[in-house]
Amino acid sequence: MKSISLFVDNGTYLTKVHPFTKLMYIAAAISIPLITGKLWMFGVFIAVSLCVLASGKILKKTIPLIAFSFTILLTIFLIHGLFNQRNVNVLFQIGGLKFYREGTLYALHIGLNILNMLLSFAVFVLSTKPSELVDELEKRGFSPRFGYIVTSVFQIIPQMMGTMNTIMDAQRSRGLETEGNLRTRAKAFLPLISPVVMSSLINTRERAIALEVRGFSAGKKKTWLADRKRHKGDREITVLLGLCILAAIAWRIVVCLR
Amino acid sequence: MEDRRMSEIIVENLRYRYPHAKKLALDGLNFSIEKGEFIGIIGENGAGKSTLSQAIMGLVPQFYKGAYGGKVIVDGIEAGKTPVSQLCGHVGLVFQNPFNQLSGAKDNVYEEVAFGMQNLGLPAEEMKERVENALKLLDIWQYRDRNPFDLSGGQMQRVAIASVLVMRPDVMILDEPTSQLDPEGSDEVFRAVEALTNSGITILMIEQKIEKLAAYCDRILLLHGGKQIAFDTPQKVFSMPDLADYGIQAPAFTRICKAEHVTLPDGTYPVTVEEAAGVLKERHAGRAETEGAAKADEKKDSEVLGEEQFLIKNLDFSYLPDVPVLKALNMRLDKRPTAIIGQNGAGKTTLVKLLKGLLKPVSGNIYFRGEDISGKTVAMLAGNVGYVFQNPDDQIFKYNVMDEIMFGPINIGMDPKRAEEEAKRALELTGLTGKEKENPYDLELHERKMTAIASVLAMDTDVLILDEPTIAQDWKGRQIIGGIIRSLSERGKLVIAILHDMDFVAENFERVIIMAHGQVLADGTARDVFMQDEALKKARLQKPYMMQLSEVLGYERAYLTVDEILRDQMS
Repeated sequence: MKSISLFVDNGTYLTKVHPFTKLMYIAAAISIPLITGKLWMFGVFIAVSLCVLASGKILKKTIPLIAFSFTILLTIFLIHGLFNQRNVNVLFQIGGLKFYREGTLYALHIGLNILNMLLSFAVFVLSTKPSELVDELEKRGFSPRFGYIVTSVFQIIPQMMGTMNTIMDAQRSRGLETEGNLRTRAKAFLPLISPVVMSSLINTRERAIALEVRGFSAGKKKTWLADRKRHKGDREITVLLGLCILAAIAWRIVVCLR
Repeated sequence: MEDRRMSEIIVENLRYRYPHAKKLALDGLNFSIEKGEFIGIIGENGAGKSTLSQAIMGLVPQFYKGAYGGKVIVDGIEAGKTPVSQLCGHVGLVFQNPFNQLSGAKDNVYEEVAFGMQNLGLPAEEMKERVENALKLLDIWQYRDRNPFDLSGGQMQRVAIASVLVMRPDVMILDEPTSQLDPEGSDEVFRAVEALTNSGITILMIEQKIEKLAAYCDRILLLHGGKQIAFDTPQKVFSMPDLADYGIQAPAFTRICKAEHVTLPDGTYPVTVEEAAGVLKERHAGRAETEGAAKADEKKDSEVLGEEQFLIKNLDFSYLPDVPVLKALNMRLDKRPTAIIGQNGAGKTTLVKLLKGLLKPVSGNIYFRGEDISGKTVAMLAGNVGYVFQNPDDQIFKYNVMDEIMFGPINIGMDPKRAEEEAKRALELTGLTGKEKENPYDLELHERKMTAIASVLAMDTDVLILDEPTIAQDWKGRQIIGGIIRSLSERGKLVIAILHDMDFVAENFERVIIMAHGQVLADGTARDVFMQDEALKKARLQKPYMMQLSEVLGYERAYLTVDEILRDQMS
């Protein structure tokens, strides 16, 4: 079954780091540059994210993400570099196009912010198994019902896509053309979508019973197969990142008061 | 009568009616079951078997609502009034469809099996030990890291059983747990379940495989129309003269002994191969074999070769580049009804999907009546080759049965008048006449399966492919499907079916192909193929029951069906 989760199970240290530590990293990487308002802070966190991704051997996987955001970044540069309303000083000129200093700086701000967010999230998403995160959340008192909804989505959606293929085969076997012009496709819509909806409804009902039968609402305190061992430095890094955020806030307050 | 206070399960005057239904689904059931007993529940479709299992689990009436009367006491707890989440520590239920039993929240088999125990709050060490034991017992330990949704039906079924087993219920109810399994696989489940009864677990099993139930069960509960018809030893129940009236066919061994009028000392008929062989041996001691009749029959079996339909040349297929599913397959299919048998995951479904054009060969060619099909779309082949999928819910989308059946014929360009005629014929063949106006979703699973079969039959294709048509069908349903195969064959059409029911194969197919690991192990008449012990063993198959009996009795000729053996005995 094709997974829809982006998790790369390559067994590096990064996959073993506690999900909460990585969440804390996201919080720090996004908030500190914004709080301090310093452009070089973005650079620092982007560099850290890249190093972490490289050490976790998932840097390659981030290339499509960056490539995707690149078009957006480029548009931002063009628009703000050329047309930002505060544009006064020309920075450089390509042919007849004048790029202004103010707009380019503004665009750089936004661009770095986006890149920073993407990379810090990539650290988390690419190295964390969704079910592991939910397990950890549940251990801290998160509702198992909500946890179930989150994890089951990762299983049910690919499985529904599989069902969709079977249904397509079944209807094609009955002579239904599923490819061709818009009219043919529109005609094929109902025969393809109704069985998906109906069988999911039937399945949902049965699955609800199945969960009940397996004690899902027993109301007992849930236990886990493995107690997740803290990775070396999990606690230290979380505390350190927390302190960094606090320091940034303190610095900002001091600057404002001055 | 036994002391009822000691019983594990006590059912007292249980009556139940589903909401919006007029008829009682369960009507005055009264029985008690002892700890460690293995009980088989039989009856035709709609007899109330599944409803009873849900009543013992407390799902009826708690989940389904409706009108409920009487009492069900399990382990001293009243099932109707105790929340299912509390009862599930005492009673475990394994559904017919393993797919819906998976939690859908765990991405490997190991964790999936542990899911229920987590909910009950068991300590980790205990969970690990139980998971390991259960997975090893059901022979799925090697799949522990696989995604449960990626497993085959048979493997998934064993995961479902394991996931209930680990919760260590005192009572375990299994609703047709072996319907998706190959013969060896279902034997393994029966053996595993029997082993459980030795450890004191009480088992209730709903099953269509009468011969297996007869061999393993302590007692049989026969239901019909929600009423309790009999609750006794297999010998007594299967010796009942009016068994057929309740939609039950007695085990093959019992039918032979009935016809031969040989009984066990207590006056009942034997139900297992050993019992039957015991009494028949005495009777036939010193009797010579009637070779002549056998020979005449043999000739008829082998020499009716029709014209070529499919020709498969050097076919290779794989879903993933490194995992070949079919390897250098060569096959010629003529008009004889052909059964493809083999263990779960042998490549049977892949092969028929290739014939239907749903999959394209990696290399090699498939010719249909001399024409290479690789250039044709599935819809183009639809008029020639019909394919009934395993799960009817994958295709049903109309609001009444007639429209559903007419969809295919109209699609392939049949004129409406002829389409209607074909649809009527299909309805009649599948026994659905009178249900034209019903919404398919209101029908029971076995009727929905028939609807799916009818919807392909109506397309009047030259070839019909059936994937596991007998799942969820009772004796009556199996007879209907047998009738369809005969009727199509008489009209010169090729029927190809994938099956796990060896006796059904022996009774209805002229040609049998055994597949294992993407290759053909044996190919020939049912008689030839079922004689090849080596191939059967490799493909995890078993002989038809009559053949097993002939062997135990030391007959020179291997009989395939009860009719055959009786015909010979007469002459």
